[in-house]
Amino acid sequence: MSRKLRCIGLTIAVIWAGIFAAAPAMADDPLVYATIQPSQINLGESAHFTITNLGDGSNPITLPVVSGLKFEIVARTREIQIVNGTTLPSSSIVMRVTPQIAGIFTIPAVTPKASPLVLQVNAAPSGVPVPRVGAPPPPPPPPIFSGGSIPKGVHLSDDGSAYVRLSVPKRELFVGESVPVEIEVGMRSGFVSSLNGMPKLTGDDFALNSLSRQPERSEKLINGENFVLFTWRSVLAVIKPGSFALSAQAPLTVKIRTRPKRDSQLDDRFGDPFWQNFFGATIPKDIDVVSPPQEVKVLELPAAGRPADFHGAIGTFSITSDISPGKADAGDPMTLRMRITGSGSFDRVDSTMLDHLDQWKTYPPKSSFNTSDPIGFSGMKTFEQPVIASKAGMQTLPALSFSYFDPGSRKYETARSAPLTVSISPSQADSAATPSPAVAGAGSRDASGSENKYAAALRPDHPAAARLTASLIPLFLRPKFLAVPSFLAIALAAAWLGAKRRRADERPTANRRVASKTAKRVLAQLEAAARAGNAALFFDLARKALQRVYAERWQLSPEQITTAEIDARMGTNDDIRQLFAYADESKYSGRELQATRFARWLEIVREHLTGEGPA
Amino acid sequence: MNARMWVVACLAFGVLMGTSQAGAQATSAGYSAAGLYNLGNSYARAGKPGLAILNYERASLLAPGDPDIEANLRFVRSTARLPAESRNTIDRLARIGSPFTLSWIGVFGIAIIGAGAVAAQLSSRHRRLRVAALLVGLTMLASTICSGVALWPKLHSGVIIAASTPARVSPVPMGDSLFVLREGETVRISAEHEGFTFISTAAGRSGWVADSHLAPIVPRRPAN
Repeated sequence: MSRKLRCIGLTIAVIWAGIFAAAPAMADDPLVYATIQPSQINLGESAHFTITNLGDGSNPITLPVVSGLKFEIVARTREIQIVNGTTLPSSSIVMRVTPQIAGIFTIPAVTPKASPLVLQVNAAPSGVPVPRVGAPPPPPPPPIFSGGSIPKGVHLSDDGSAYVRLSVPKRELFVGESVPVEIEVGMRSGFVSSLNGMPKLTGDDFALNSLSRQPERSEKLINGENFVLFTWRSVLAVIKPGSFALSAQAPLTVKIRTRPKRDSQLDDRFGDPFWQNFFGATIPKDIDVVSPPQEVKVLELPAAGRPADFHGAIGTFSITSDISPGKADAGDPMTLRMRITGSGSFDRVDSTMLDHLDQWKTYPPKSSFNTSDPIGFSGMKTFEQPVIASKAGMQTLPALSFSYFDPGSRKYETARSAPLTVSISPSQADSAATPSPAVAGAGSRDASGSENKYAAALRPDHPAAARLTASLIPLFLRPKFLAVPSFLAIALAAAWLGAKRRRADERPTANRRVASKTAKRVLAQLEAAARAGNAALFFDLARKALQRVYAERWQLSPEQITTAEIDARMGTNDDIRQLFAYADESKYSGRELQATRFARWLEIVREHLTGEGPA
Repeated sequence: MNARMWVVACLAFGVLMGTSQAGAQATSAGYSAAGLYNLGNSYARAGKPGLAILNYERASLLAPGDPDIEANLRFVRSTARLPAESRNTIDRLARIGSPFTLSWIGVFGIAIIGAGAVAAQLSSRHRRLRVAALLVGLTMLASTICSGVALWPKLHSGVIIAASTPARVSPVPMGDSLFVLREGETVRISAEHEGFTFISTAAGRSGWVADSHLAPIVPRRPAN
């Protein structure tokens, strides 16, 4: 019985011990953490992503945004937990994560100090590997506990919780050279809370290009302790000459014990975070772990033997070229491809060697770079340049050359491609009006020898014409011919104008001629009336003649020419006034006139009829 | 020099210049309607509808009313499944004579109108004759103008001479293809730029075509 009671008491003690052990662990964990269940699903299924906030909820929570994943909030909970006698309010947000495509998704950490989560979505039944979305293929499972001693180049931090190792393949570099480097950050399990940023170089004498954002993760046993390793690969660019100490650093958050080290040696012996936290409280601390410096000597590029077409490419390269199609018509675009393969500074590999291609019309090339490694240090750069041959015949594209500096042999090298030959036929557009012998002799079969559908119902050829024309432009649209109708029109217009002017000039003379004849006739009648002593007839004829004359001159009807009209236009004219008065008087009173008076009035009328009188 | 002498001199000078133009037009090397028609037949028999249509179109410029040219052009178009060209009244009027003949008809029309106008200034007699001459002259001139209006679009057109010719968005070989033109399709030429021609189709689509795939109906260079 007592033994049974002892067993029960021991069990209760173990349970309480577990509760007490959990309390400091929770106290030291991040106040906000996230979980995803399950971490591997099939496409069409959903997972639950839970963000838990322990504390007063003042910590900001960033809802994740991942391309290809749909997040929907399904629940919000609030509760109060009592841990180790301490009241802790907590709140949770539960989200349904629905993948839209298959792949491996990395859900970013909800707080800067938390770790990202990984969700694997299978398109096929579970277990079939799927490609990683937006990232290189997943690395093979890390070898756990693969070694026990401290590897070369590893210098642990003072507290033994982490290290940074920088691997540079060479100690002597050239300005402008690019070398692949590897940065490894090792973090002892349970002692490092988080990695707070990407590793970087100390100092500004070098530059890191395209540091891979997804590090390779593995685990390793170092000096008997379990370490999680993150490895980044990149290209180191050398900026200036000189001797430099090169090192890398990484920002970490580590747990610092609040008890003296000698008191916590027991914690370390357990090696498990649970027991370490069980036996002693820790506090987080941000530190920068730096790799041991490495002496690197940077040399200037040699001036001797530098080719004129060297543009700064350093590495090892080879060049090939081809053109397609190999046969074309003059004026047809073809594509000249130049491929530069190798490793080195591909950003300095340009297309200036394509600039000078005589007899060819060239267009700006476009380039593409296919890397054979994730950091872009080695691969193949391809330039595609459209070219057009301006002349027909067998045309040769000259050999292309590309100069670079080989750091291995420490001298300049020039890579050359073989010259290319291409057959260019005359342009069909240019020779459209001139039949080729094959076309001229073509029967009802086309070039391929098969029966031609176009030859079936053609009307027969015409006999050849003896008269040829040099241009197809209609005659009336050629400038030279247009001169003929233009000149003709101008000349005829001039003739028409001349004739019109001449007619206008001749009109007054004719009028005067007619008036002269009329005046003569009237004067003859007046003389006859004077000889007969017929004053009434004389003055009547004289008045009518003057009325006609002035009516035509003033554009009036003869009846409108009265004494008042004449006075208004000519002022007081006693002669005409008196003549008109005599005309009335002799008409109604029968007054006689002496012969000398007739002569005077005849002279006055003559003056007015011949225009010698007043205007 | 009186007006009658002046008119006679003008007409004589115009005929002299026109004769010299006609003489200059006739060359030992160049185009003829029959030659272009036969060439179109040759290309058709060789299975090249684009070049066949091009040469028929060129032949129809010199001999617009030739029934053989029209028949073969229509046949090759329909065989190549290209839409037939529609003709309006002006087109039909323009085909009553060759452009060469119509050019001279227009010149004589101008001469008749001008001579009638001058004669009206010189004398008022024969009024009916003058009116008739004016109408004849105007008709002759109108026929020439109709021919010009009908032929003007053709002078700015081209024929696609390569199968599946891409019309590109920009005048460079790597420009994106907007649509594909069929061999033998007649397009309107709007602009040229460094080996490319901006064309518009009858359907209203436009793009840049490589010069090697397109031949203008009126060649850019005169025949050697």
